[in-house]
Amino acid sequence: MAVTTATSGRTVRYVQPIVQGRSRFERAMWLFMRYSGLALVFLALSHFWLQHLLIGTHAITTAQTVAFWGAQGQPVTVGQLLFRAYYAVMLVLAVGHGINGVRQVAYDYFGHRPAAYKALMGAVVSIAAVISALGILALLLGAQASPEALTR
Amino acid sequence: MLNPLLITVRESLRYRGRESHWMWLLHRVSGLGIVVFLGLHIFGMSMSAFNPALHERMLEAYKTPLFAVGELVLAALLIFHAVNGTRIAILELRPQLWEKQQVATRWALIITFALAMPTILVMAWKSVSHFVSGQ
Ligand code: HEM
Repeated sequence: MAVTTATSGRTVRYVQPIVQGRSRFERAMWLFMRYSGLALVFLALSHFWLQHLLIGTHAITTAQTVAFWGAQGQPVTVGQLLFRAYYAVMLVLAVGHGINGVRQVAYDYFGHRPAAYKALMGAVVSIAAVISALGILALLLGAQASPEALTR
Repeated sequence: MLNPLLITVRESLRYRGRESHWMWLLHRVSGLGIVVFLGLHIFGMSMSAFNPALHERMLEAYKTPLFAVGELVLAALLIFHAVNGTRIAILELRPQLWEKQQVATRWALIITFALAMPTILVMAWKSVSHFVSGQ
């Protein structure tokens, strides 16, 4: 139990989240959840509102992806590089935050069954690793213009 | 021995407790919902580099009625999770504020509502006009 003084001057007693005492790793993850979350407020909400409100889901096309990312084999503009950096940072933070969140939930429900917990997390981490690798590679390579999109 | 997942579901329905409990449950459900969509979304977008035809098909799938409804749910989940996550982060990084918990919870709900309502209405309007006009 720790003691601190509230803004009103009253004394407040509180319990440190158990996770902080458990290990260095858990403490780091606890902080990471808070700071990545705060960064994602700006990254994820700006992304969502740009694509769904300003552009609109029904107006999104392959051609737009090519315009945002730059096409493979073409020179990349500064704006496209900035977009790729924005997506790469968001991908790393969101996937890291999401995996760690799933780990906490899995631990709550399967922590008492180590074999099931390990199998579940092994599957989650493997799927996340493949999807993230695809995402990062795609951002490094740039988009391909779809033949159908070009002839339409 | 009861499965902890079953206990959570049962006790959550039975629990006549305070709003903090519901906020915790909603935060968990919204986080899991977003993470499922995130996986699908990163995979679909990455296909623009590897398989443009599949990428195009995934973009077309977003324009079906099923996803038009899913998009509204996603907006609500994301906005709630972002606002409530900010509340959690601020309160836990600044424990002196803990005596203001209930005010913080109320404000989190008000801000979520204020941001989600216009977002959902505009998206629903765009979807309905898309389906009506066929564009
Ligand atoms: C938009 C800004 C976001 C903020 C401010 C935020 C904040 C947080 C915080 C503070 C926690 C920890 C809760 C706890 O330890 O009790 C958390 C949990 C979680 N978040 Fe986020 N998050 C955000 C975005 C996301 C995104 C984009 C995803 C999906 C990839 C996500 C998935 C999760 C999951 C699955 C959990 C675990 C829930 C649990 O332990 O009950 N969050 N979030």
